[in-house]
Amino acid sequence: MANMLKPTSAFSHLDPLSTPSLSVAPREDLTMASFAAGKDQVQAVMATIKSAYGVDLPRRPARVSGKGIAFVWAGPDQWLAVAERGANRDMERELKSLLSAMASVVDQSDGRVVVRVSGPLSRQVLAKGIPIDLHPRAFGANAAAITHASHIGVIMWQLEDASTFELAMFRSYADSFAHWLIETAEATLPATA
Amino acid sequence: MARTKEAPRRDPLQPQRLVDRGIVDHRRTIEFTFDGVTYKGHPGDTVASALLANGVMLAGRSFKYHRPRGILSAGSEEPSALLELRDGARREPNTKATTAELFDGLVAKSQNRWPSLDFDVMSINSLLSKVFVAGFYYKTFMWPAALWEKLYEPAIRRAAGLGRASDAADPDVYEKTTAHTDVLIIGGGPAGLMAALAAAQSGKRVILVDEQAALGGRAIDDGSIIDGRPAREWVRSVEAELASRPDVTILRRTTVFGTYDGGTYGALERVNDHVAVPQKHQPRQRLWRIVAKRAVLATGATERPIVFGDNDRPGVMLAGAVRTYINRFGVVPGDRVVVFANNDYAVSTVTDLINAGANVVAIVDSRPKPSEAISRIASSAGTKLLSGAVVTRALGKKRVTGALIRTQSGAEVRLFCDLIAVSGGWNPNIQLSTHVGGKPLWNDDLLCFLPGSLPPGMLLAGAVAGNFSLPKALGSGADAGATAVANGTKSVSIPVPKAAEDSVRIAPLWRVEDHSGKAFVDFQNDVTDTDVELAEREGFRAVEHLKRYTTLGMATDQGRTANVNALAIMADITGRTIPQTGMTLARPPYVPVAVGALAGHHRGKSFKPTRLPPSYKWAKEQGAVCVETGLWLRPSYFPRPGEKDWLDTVKREVNTVRNAVGICDVSTLGKVDVQGKDAAAFLERVYMNNLKSLAIGKARYGGMLREDGILFDDGTVARFAENQYFITTTTANAVRALQHMEYCAQWLWPELDVQIISATEQWAQYAVAGPKSRELLRKIVDPEFDISDAGFPYLQVGEITVCGGVKARLFRLSFSGERAYEIGVPARYGDALMRQLWEAGREFGACAYGTEALGVMRIEKGHISGPELNGTTTPRDVGLGGMVSKTKDFVGRTLGTRPGIVDPERPQLIGFRPVDRSVRLRSGAHFLAKGANPTAANDEGYMTSVAYSPSNGHWIGLGFLKHGPERVGEIVRAYDPVRGGDTLVEVVKPVFVDPEGARVRG
Repeated sequence: MANMLKPTSAFSHLDPLSTPSLSVAPREDLTMASFAAGKDQVQAVMATIKSAYGVDLPRRPARVSGKGIAFVWAGPDQWLAVAERGANRDMERELKSLLSAMASVVDQSDGRVVVRVSGPLSRQVLAKGIPIDLHPRAFGANAAAITHASHIGVIMWQLEDASTFELAMFRSYADSFAHWLIETAEATLPATA
Repeated sequence: MARTKEAPRRDPLQPQRLVDRGIVDHRRTIEFTFDGVTYKGHPGDTVASALLANGVMLAGRSFKYHRPRGILSAGSEEPSALLELRDGARREPNTKATTAELFDGLVAKSQNRWPSLDFDVMSINSLLSKVFVAGFYYKTFMWPAALWEKLYEPAIRRAAGLGRASDAADPDVYEKTTAHTDVLIIGGGPAGLMAALAAAQSGKRVILVDEQAALGGRAIDDGSIIDGRPAREWVRSVEAELASRPDVTILRRTTVFGTYDGGTYGALERVNDHVAVPQKHQPRQRLWRIVAKRAVLATGATERPIVFGDNDRPGVMLAGAVRTYINRFGVVPGDRVVVFANNDYAVSTVTDLINAGANVVAIVDSRPKPSEAISRIASSAGTKLLSGAVVTRALGKKRVTGALIRTQSGAEVRLFCDLIAVSGGWNPNIQLSTHVGGKPLWNDDLLCFLPGSLPPGMLLAGAVAGNFSLPKALGSGADAGATAVANGTKSVSIPVPKAAEDSVRIAPLWRVEDHSGKAFVDFQNDVTDTDVELAEREGFRAVEHLKRYTTLGMATDQGRTANVNALAIMADITGRTIPQTGMTLARPPYVPVAVGALAGHHRGKSFKPTRLPPSYKWAKEQGAVCVETGLWLRPSYFPRPGEKDWLDTVKREVNTVRNAVGICDVSTLGKVDVQGKDAAAFLERVYMNNLKSLAIGKARYGGMLREDGILFDDGTVARFAENQYFITTTTANAVRALQHMEYCAQWLWPELDVQIISATEQWAQYAVAGPKSRELLRKIVDPEFDISDAGFPYLQVGEITVCGGVKARLFRLSFSGERAYEIGVPARYGDALMRQLWEAGREFGACAYGTEALGVMRIEKGHISGPELNGTTTPRDVGLGGMVSKTKDFVGRTLGTRPGIVDPERPQLIGFRPVDRSVRLRSGAHFLAKGANPTAANDEGYMTSVAYSPSNGHWIGLGFLKHGPERVGEIVRAYDPVRGGDTLVEVVKPVFVDPEGARVRG
C-alpha cells in the first residue's frame, strides 16, 4: 500500500525572501536526531562518530560538519545531527544502528523546524530578537548556541559561510517565529519609497 | 574683546534668525504650525529654536498654576516648553520643544490652557496658590473620604495635568535590538569624541551614542575653536575618522536612559521622530540593549537656574541655552539682555550675545568681588557690571519686560530687557552612574555633585567628572578612551587638540533672599522655594521626604534643573551642609521612554508567541473555536450550523464520543523520551507509584510529587523497550516536568545512566475515543498490525505503521472513559493523518471534539486536571492515596509524611450533583454543612470543576470536601458569595459515567 499521507509545512505563511542583502528560507528537507551519550560512553560515541563521519564531536557550543552531515552541540554530552533527507535518509535509524548501546537517539526531524537566514544583513536582523553576541569575533563560522529569538527557544548555528545562520525551534512556534522574522527583515531592509 | 562692527544679518522672515550662524541648513526653509499659526524654520532646528527664531517665547502653561511658560533650556532637561506634537493617531503630549526636531508640516500645540494660550481661564489657580501648596492633596481634601474619588480627584486631574495622549492605536512600529561592545561611549561632545577616537585606535568594538541629531555637544553649543578651527569642522573630521573604522558604530538621536547590572545599558534611538510619517515598515523608535565591557560616561553637565522672583517668566533662559541657540541654531533669543550669574560662564555668554548683535544691558554678578575674566569682558564690551548684585524678580507676564535688581549696596534698580540669561553653575549629568547604586560626592570647589563609586566597568570623561573647561574635557576624553581599551598597563595615547582655557570660577548662590513674586525650584511640577520651606516646617527634611511631599524632581525631567537647588535651599534653612542634607539617587529612565518602544514587536497578537497544534489548520477549516491554553491555541469546540450555543455543541460532541467516536488533537501534552540502562530505576524515583512491574509494550498512569509532598504532575508512562520509556506530562507542566527530571538526573542522581530528551513536538498525537474507535482505526492502521482487543488490549502500546507505511505509535489509553486510543505520527504528517481520520470516520458518524468536551468527559469520569492539580493538593486529597508506593523511595516521599500533609481533616476529592437537578453549579463555591453560617471557620472545602453532563442530563461537579468519601449521600451547601450562588448539593461518588470502568476495555 502506498503512503497516503503527504507531509505539510509547519509554516503557513513564510514566503521565502531573497534579496542581495538578506535571504530567509525554511529548510524542510532535513532529517535530524538528538543523541545523548550514555554514562561513561562519551569517548566511545566520539570515536564511533569520528570513524563513521570523520569529525570530532564538539564538547562546547559549536557545530562540526562532515560529508553530508553536521553535528551541533546541544548540551553536555548531547548533540543534534542534521542532514538532508534526500530520497529516504533517516537520521534516527542511521544513528541508532551506529550507536545502539552507547547513546540514546531520538528523532527530531519533525519536532524541530529549521530556518536559514543569510546575507550581509543577517546579523543585524537576528540581533533584533536574539540577546547573545553575534559579532563575527564572538560568533563565527561553525559557532552554535542555545538561546532564544523573539521569546522562542532556539538552537542556532552558523555555517562555514560568514553570514549564513540556521535556527532550529520547536515546530509549533514556526508561524510566530516567521511573523517576527519577516516583520524584522522588512524593517531592516533599506526602505522602499 | 571689541564689539563687532556690524550687526550680523538677519532673515526677514524669521526676525531672530542670523543668516550665517549655526549648523542648521539655511538653504532650505520648511514650515510648521504652532497653535494654528504657520511659521518658518530650517532643517536642523528643534521646535524650540524655530519658535525662538520667529520671536515666539510663550510656549505653554504650567502644570498646577497655569502660569505662562517659555523655553528655559535647549536640551532634554527642559521643564517648561512641553508641547503636544502631531495630530490624529500620532498625537503625543508633553514633548520637549527643545529636543523635538523640526520637520516640514509639523503641527505643534501648546498644552494645559483653555480657551487659548494667551488667555487661560485656569490661571485663576495661581490666585489660589495658598491652597495649592505642597501636600495639598493630603490636607485639603481629607474629609469626607467618599468625595475623593467622585469629586476631588477628577476635578484636580482636569485642572492640573498636561497634554492629551491620542486615543487611537499607535500606527507606528517599534523595534528592539541588542548590541555587544568592548566600549560604550555615552555622549558625543568633545570628551566623548576624544574617547571614541582613542578607543577606536585599538580596533576594538566601540559604540558612540549621542542624544542629538548632530555630534559635537557643547563644542557646537559654545561655538568653540578647536585646533584653530571652528568646532564643527573638527567634529566633522573626527566623525569621518570614526566612520572609516568598521567596528565603530555611531548612534545619533539616541539617549542612554538606564544603567543595569552586568554592564548592560538601555538606549532609545529616535529613528523616525524627525519625520512626519516613517517610511513603510521602518520603525519609529528602536530600543537598544547594549552590553558593554567598559563604558565611558561623557554625558556633560546641565546648567542650574537661580531661584528668584518670577524666575519662570518666558524670557528667563539658561545662559548656556542662549549660547546654544546662537551658535548651534543661529537664533538670538532676545535683543536686550541681562546676564545674571554666580560664575564665569557669564563671560562667554556676553561675548556670544554681542557677536550675535544683541545688546547686553547689564551683567549682574552675585559675587561681591568681580573675577578678572568678568571685569575684562565688561570693560571690552562696554557693558554695565553689577558685582554683588542679584536679580530679585523678573518683570512682565507672558514675556520678560525687565529685571528688578538689588545692588550690592541694597539699592533697587529696574532695567528693561526681553531676556534674562541665567547661570547658577553646572550639574554634571551623573544619573547613569547612580542607577545601580553609585553614591554621588559633593565637590565644594566646583559646587556640584560628581560621580562617587562607579558601576563596574564605567569610566568618566569631560564635564560629568567636573572637567568643565574644553581643554580638560578633550584631555580626559582621550585618557578615558585609551584606558577603556587598555590591556593591563599598555594604553594608546592620541594627540589632544588645542583649545583655549575657560575660567570656571564660581561662588555659591542658590536662591535670592527677600525676593517678591513666586520663585520656582521645580518648573515642571510647579514647586516653589516656599514649598521647600513648608516641607521643612512640617518635618519633611530628609531629601526623600522633601521629594515626595513636594513632588519635587518627580516630573518627566527628573528634576534635572531643580534637585540641587532644592537641596541647597533645604541645607540652608536647616543649617546643614549639602552633603549632610543628602541627595536623591536617580532611577531609570533618564528620559521618558514610550511603552511602544519597550514592547517592540511584541504587541497585540505578537505579545507572546503562539503555538499551533498539528491539526490547527484543519480545525479552523472545520470552524473550530479556539482557546488559549498557555501559549497553545487549541480547538475548544467545533460548532455546527443550527447549534444555538457552545453548550449545545459540547453536548453533541460528548454524546458522539460516548455513542460512536470522536477525534481530538492531544499533541500539546508534554512528551519525554527517557532512555538508558537506569531509565527504570530513574522513573521509580521520580514517580510516586510503582513502575517496576510495567511490562514492555504497556502503559500506566503515573503521578509525580514535588519534594514537599505536594502533587506536581500526572500523565502516562509507556515502556517501548527494556531501557526506553516514553512519558507524557500535562500540557501546562510540560516544560517544568522536563526541567524537574533534568534536575533529578543531573544533580540528585548523577550516578544513574539515563538520558532525557523532549519529544513533545516530534509527534502529532490524536485521541480517537468512543465505542467505534477501533473500527475507525482499523481503516488507518496498516493491516499487518493486530488491534483486536486480544492483540491490543487496554493500556497496550506499540510501534506500528499507518496509511501505507508511515511510522506511528499507538497507545490504548482513555481520558474519556470510553474505549479509546491515542495515535501518533511524525508531526509533518499530522495534518494529513487528521484528514484521513476524518474521512475514515464519516461512516461511523465521527465528530471532532475540543477541550470543552474533553473537560466534560473527564469530570464525568472523575479524572483530575488543572483545577485539582493546583499546587496545594496531595495524592490523598485527589483520591490517589492508594497509588502511592510504600515500598520504595521517591521524590516527595519523606516530606509527604508531614502531619499537615497527612492530616485526615484535609478536604478530599468527591463528586457533587445539585439537589434541584435544574440548577447550574459553579466552581469556586465553598462547602458548608447544611444550616451552618457562612464563615471561614465553617468552611469545609470548595468545588474545583463543574460541567453540564449530557450523560446525566444535569450539572455535576468535583470538589474537595472534608471527609468527603465518608459523606456520600449527604446534602451540603455550595455557597458562592462572589456570584451570589447558594445551592444545596448532594455528595456522590466522583464517577458519573460507567462506574465499573467496563467501557475502556471494550
